Amino acid sequence: MASRLSRIWPTLYRARLSSALGSRCVSQTPKSSASGAAVASDLQPVSPAAHDSHGHAEVSPFEKNPDFHGFHHHDSFVDEWNMRLAFFFGISVAIVVGGTFIHYLPDHGMRQWARREAERLIKQREAEGLPLMTDNYYDPSTIVLPSSGEE
Amino acid sequence: MLKVLIPTIMLFPTIWLTSPKWLWTTTTAHSLLIASISLTWLKWTSETGWTSSNMYLATDPLSTPLLVLTCWLLPLMILASQNHINPEPISRQRLYITLLASLQTFLIMAFGATEIIMFYIMFEATLIPTLIIITRWGNQTERLNAGTYFLFYTLAGSLPLLVALLLLQQSTGTLSMLVLQYSQPLQLNSWGHMFWWAGCLIAFLVKMPLYGVHLWLPKAHVEAPVAGSMVLAAVLLKLGGYGMMRMMVMLDPLSKELAYPFIILALWGIIMTGSICLRQTDLKSLIAYSSVSHMGLVAGGILIQTPWGFSGAIILMIAHGLVSSALFCLANTAYERTHSRTMILARGLQVIFPLTAVWWFIANLANLALPPLPNLMGELMIITTLFNWSPWTILLTGLGTLITAGYSLYMFLMSQRGPTPNHIMGLQPFHTREHLLMTLHLIPVILLVTKPELMWGWCY
Repeated sequence: MASRLSRIWPTLYRARLSSALGSRCVSQTPKSSASGAAVASDLQPVSPAAHDSHGHAEVSPFEKNPDFHGFHHHDSFVDEWNMRLAFFFGISVAIVVGGTFIHYLPDHGMRQWARREAERLIKQREAEGLPLMTDNYYDPSTIVLPSSGEE
Repeated sequence: MLKVLIPTIMLFPTIWLTSPKWLWTTTTAHSLLIASISLTWLKWTSETGWTSSNMYLATDPLSTPLLVLTCWLLPLMILASQNHINPEPISRQRLYITLLASLQTFLIMAFGATEIIMFYIMFEATLIPTLIIITRWGNQTERLNAGTYFLFYTLAGSLPLLVALLLLQQSTGTLSMLVLQYSQPLQLNSWGHMFWWAGCLIAFLVKMPLYGVHLWLPKAHVEAPVAGSMVLAAVLLKLGGYGMMRMMVMLDPLSKELAYPFIILALWGIIMTGSICLRQTDLKSLIAYSSVSHMGLVAGGILIQTPWGFSGAIILMIAHGLVSSALFCLANTAYERTHSRTMILARGLQVIFPLTAVWWFIANLANLALPPLPNLMGELMIITTLFNWSPWTILLTGLGTLITAGYSLYMFLMSQRGPTPNHIMGLQPFHTREHLLMTLHLIPVILLVTKPELMWGWCY
């Protein structure tokens, strides 16, 4: 962490200087066309005490708090606890416990049972030498049809 | 249903009564708990469809995946917005989260509605918080134009829907989905009936959006802040798909002929918007047009009205919701650091942000429908059912798949690979919050590979 800071500090310092001189690292393009290829346009002039969109001077929050997690800029206690709760509720509760719940959901529509039953019946019929499926589900001699001539 | 709806409504007191220091912590934790409880909806109690405790709010295998997606997205939106909203006064922060929570409430009631008119009212109600988010918290002056396009496109499409629903109520006596699914097929044989058919569907086709009425989407997605883009891409587009799937039940047999031009428009839209993506310079605009492309495939799948088409549509809706929201979050991380959405400005990021490059990679692979992710499974099912309807569609869908792969890889290579420009060297490192946000997006997509039957809808 410290080595990364020591690497970027010189360029960060230069970036601070250049922003103080009023040259921002954004592209200034004319007003967008109807298809909406818009980019950020500087609506206010840049002042020496330039602040970025987070309301801070152009200094990384990692300077003050090397363990900054991105949740709360000024209070490291709140930042840390926000991180802990977000991870706990997000991963441990929602994904792990929720995922276990979903894994153990019952076999809806008996689909998995049907597949197992089919495989079992196929194995059984192949072992007995019977055809896997017969043309008639019901025995035709048990079906009583009305006679054809009368009303 | 109430076990999720009441905690969601209680989110409002949480937002306004928490101390300013702990606002974001409590809302994140509260909404994640709601998301965990919403997973219990996946246990479908009846074999025949609807699970309900009363006549007006019910869930079935079609609405459940979308409801879970909606509930999962609120904590993700709160996590994503935390950084850029933080400098504002506390009451405005509370207002922002209130808008997100009210959107959540309307969406839960929309997806859970059994009366079509309640679905319509909630469908319209979601427009208001989204419009406020876009026009108040968007970053460029174009946001006003975007809000206007968004509002009036959707309203113009949904006014015929209101008339159509009132006509339906008059002729059948009911607008309850529970009853209408068993009603006799309607006698639809006149020009007036054809207009009624169109009126039922236009609102949802505009919302999806269908190519031709899609112009509101790139504007709205690009000008909205990150939470607005996320909810638009992930859930609000799916309202259109869900509405279409519900209405299709009653619209036979007219749909056999009348759906033809819309299917062709949807397929052509895949190619056109995919090609537009290849020419984009604005990162968010690229992702927005990619959404139009994917939803064109969804629209085609729904209009075909086969079991595979419907299943493929739901799977692609859920998968696209998560992945497209992930891409918008990644685009926002670049935007917060460089204050620009121009792609050539934030390039070569892999050297600086190696773990984030992994998220970019996975999100882009999911976007181009890599197997075994559900994006591919949904696309394959839709492409197959379209091929069954007409073999010539394979030309359009195949070309669309190629172009999708093209622009997804282009997005990845442009943002991550290549030499890193000098002004990128001084960017802030990635926050734990941003990594968590990406994992919470991508882990469900990967987990859905293992149990896709959650998303198969009625056909399961």
